[in-house]
Amino acid sequence: MSEKEPKKTMANEEELALDDGRRVKVLSPGMMVFKRFIRNRLAIVGICTLIFMFVFSFIGGLVSPYRQDQVFYKVDNANKEYASAIINSDYRFTAVEGEVLTPMTRATFNGQVKSSGADETVFTADGVTYTAKKIDDGFYILSAGKTLGTVAQLGKIVDINLEPDTELTDEARKAVQQALRNGEGSFTADGVSYTLTRGVGKNYTLSSMVEVGMVSMLNFDPHDPSYTGLVSGYEFRKACETAMHRGETTAVADGITYTLDVQDENNAVVLDAGGKEIAGISNIIVNPVNNGIFLTADYRAAVSEAISERRTAFDYINSEGVPEHHTIQMRGSNYIVFTQQQTYLIDMYSPPSAAHPLGTDDHGMDVLTRLMYGGRISLMVGFIVMILENIIGIIIGGVSGYFGGWVDTLLMRFVDLFNSIPYYPMMIIAGAIMDSFEVDPYIRLYMMMAIMGIMGWTGVARVVRGQILSLREQDFMVATEATGIPVSRRIFRHLVPNVMPLLIVQATMGLGSIILAEATLSFLGLGIKYPLASWGSIINSSSNIYVMTNCWYLWIPAGLLIVLTVLGFNFVGDGLRDAFDPKMKR
Amino acid sequence: MSETGTNVLEVRHLCKYFPIKSGLFGRVVGYVHAVEDVSFTLKRGTTMGLVGESGCGKTTVGKTLLNLTPKTDGEVIFNGNVHLDRLSGRELRSFRPKIQIIFQDPYSSLSPRLPVGEIIGEAVREHHLVPDDQLDGYVSKIMKSCGLFDYQKDRYPHEFSGGQRQRICIARAIALNPDFIVCDEPVSALDVSIQAQIINLLEDLQKEYNLTYLFISHDLSVVQHISDTVGVMYLGNMVEYAGKEDIFARPLHPYTQALFSAIPVPDPTVKMNRIILEGSIPSPANPPSGCKFHTRCRNCKGVCSQKAPRTMDMGGGHTVACHIYDPESGYAQEK
Repeated sequence: MSEKEPKKTMANEEELALDDGRRVKVLSPGMMVFKRFIRNRLAIVGICTLIFMFVFSFIGGLVSPYRQDQVFYKVDNANKEYASAIINSDYRFTAVEGEVLTPMTRATFNGQVKSSGADETVFTADGVTYTAKKIDDGFYILSAGKTLGTVAQLGKIVDINLEPDTELTDEARKAVQQALRNGEGSFTADGVSYTLTRGVGKNYTLSSMVEVGMVSMLNFDPHDPSYTGLVSGYEFRKACETAMHRGETTAVADGITYTLDVQDENNAVVLDAGGKEIAGISNIIVNPVNNGIFLTADYRAAVSEAISERRTAFDYINSEGVPEHHTIQMRGSNYIVFTQQQTYLIDMYSPPSAAHPLGTDDHGMDVLTRLMYGGRISLMVGFIVMILENIIGIIIGGVSGYFGGWVDTLLMRFVDLFNSIPYYPMMIIAGAIMDSFEVDPYIRLYMMMAIMGIMGWTGVARVVRGQILSLREQDFMVATEATGIPVSRRIFRHLVPNVMPLLIVQATMGLGSIILAEATLSFLGLGIKYPLASWGSIINSSSNIYVMTNCWYLWIPAGLLIVLTVLGFNFVGDGLRDAFDPKMKR
Repeated sequence: MSETGTNVLEVRHLCKYFPIKSGLFGRVVGYVHAVEDVSFTLKRGTTMGLVGESGCGKTTVGKTLLNLTPKTDGEVIFNGNVHLDRLSGRELRSFRPKIQIIFQDPYSSLSPRLPVGEIIGEAVREHHLVPDDQLDGYVSKIMKSCGLFDYQKDRYPHEFSGGQRQRICIARAIALNPDFIVCDEPVSALDVSIQAQIINLLEDLQKEYNLTYLFISHDLSVVQHISDTVGVMYLGNMVEYAGKEDIFARPLHPYTQALFSAIPVPDPTVKMNRIILEGSIPSPANPPSGCKFHTRCRNCKGVCSQKAPRTMDMGGGHTVACHIYDPESGYAQEK
């Protein structure tokens, strides 16, 4: 009664006699059920749990900042192969510009000179006479003999017949005469070596030794790709190598003076006049493992230094000034350099954090978000399957109970038939068929709901049939027939409302078991498939012992949600059953 | 309203057998002879009492009359020409309001999920007996005439007492403006003071609407009060039928005599001369041969167990089925 109209209320109360029936508040059966229900504490706990589940699943999914199939990555440092190094044990040939050192020449050199160890070795390859002059261990200058012409000595007259396109300086001509007089086979003039080879009689062949290349075991690495041309130049290399072998710190090439920062006999850095690093010299060849990476001379030098000092690790400050730790491993005759490198990894099994309150799962997805979206599917499957079961069950059970007789017998044998189909083997077969056809996860979800509904209606049908069989014989149903009420109205106005309480209780209790069945199927891998989630499939991802023991946050929350939801449905079902029971006078 | 005196109901040789099924395929192994060869007529505006022991077939007669259970044999004719079993489903449904029934148990005869106003008015609306806009007022009027209050229309059956529920059942029947009402032990579930109210209500309504009742009861004093004619049933047979005064003054059949001798008299000084029947009522599935009552009859003779008695008219519409009153039966000659 509202307080706005106290007078009227008073008047009304005065009008009513003490035993007047209007003093009693009228409650419809629905209201009475509701009142009894809300007085049941356990049912309220259940309904609160369920409300939480619905909010969690249907609103949580909207609130969550992540998508259900969003994969998270993490930046991780992995020890990856960065460079490989090898100590050079082969001679490296560098030819003077314009000259060619044929493979035959190289092979002959390797075969004859390396083993002889003499200061000067003469060998012939491809019809050319070469002289290998040993400057130092592992450093030779190669000269090739070049025929300039013939020299005939007729008494005191020396006749020099030059080949076309060759010239001989006056100094050299005098030196030829001098050499002939003295009977020398070879001489030097203007810094060029000449050889006189005696032919028939007093005829000689004049040839000069021309420098064609050098052989060394050191390796030049330009500091910068722009120096590649300079560094591969013969003059530069020869000057630097000569200086290295002589222990000098300056080298002059093409009129430019370079400074050598010598670290040991095999390693040095070449600087120009301004102190700028141009190239590194080393007997260790360092190459990047991956293409597209340019190794700086500094780095190569650092690697060379570490290898020559037989260290297994070294620190290197990279071009950005960040120190890097590198480790060296010997693999056969090669050295492999490892370094910590940044890589993107899927953030699997990460423990709870602010960004992921329940961590991430085996696909690197946020578990909390998966639980929210999984709840949608679990609850949706529960409700849709329940509705499907009830539609089929009410129709078949209702027809069976209302008409009775042979219809009843036939339909109940049909129910028996359905009941004898084994549920899980059937679902396993259905799952395997859908697997082999690679059914889309969404279609699979609908198919699964349909199959679960078709497999589960028999219980409902039996309950409805039994209830209608007993109601049909009640006097009030006979009365509807006696008053000539049509069959449809008798069923829907009189029978169904009286079956509803039992059905609601049944359905509520059944929801829990449907959710459990779905979770079981998903856990077995037959139900919901990635990228969709359900609580069962989330638990499924923790079916190995590592996850089970180490990642509690993966499966305990999902299990808890299933348990709470099923408990909630059972509490509510119990509460409804008590509330619908007219004998309960609470 | 038709004039008083015409036959509302004629029942001729009504039989109802219930098959006894057994075995896997429901083979019929026998029949329960619930009603056998019952005949009577009911005039408009009168009440016929139908009495008998429990299980003698009174309720089955009532339900079979209304075709709520199909009859096995015989004829039931309403208003001189309506055979319920010959009507089509639609015709039967539209004739239903004319013949109503009030049940014994007022608790199970009201749907617990419907408010009382809906229970009373539902069939009225279905048959368009009153225009839809007047339905509410019509229901109120019927409720008032049955001793219910207007404000109770929105209440549910569980909020009413047994007597009130029986009034609701009566209101449901009356609302359809019937000619004939089967009252199937309408007061046996109620306490005595309420019984009187309901009986009086039924009598008042009978006067107001010129109703015809078939009043089934095992309470003889109630039957004596309300009935114009009385039929006595034993094991499916109508053993005696007569006007009320006639039968109570001069019961002829030994069963009727035994039954009436059991009526309690509210005077402790009166010496009761009770006829005690021995044994219990035989099974209707396997009824005794000859006269069905012969196993318990104190006047039983050899002919009784051999020959079924004919129904004799003893004058004034007083009929009895007993060999004692049949001169051709040979009962008198036997020792």
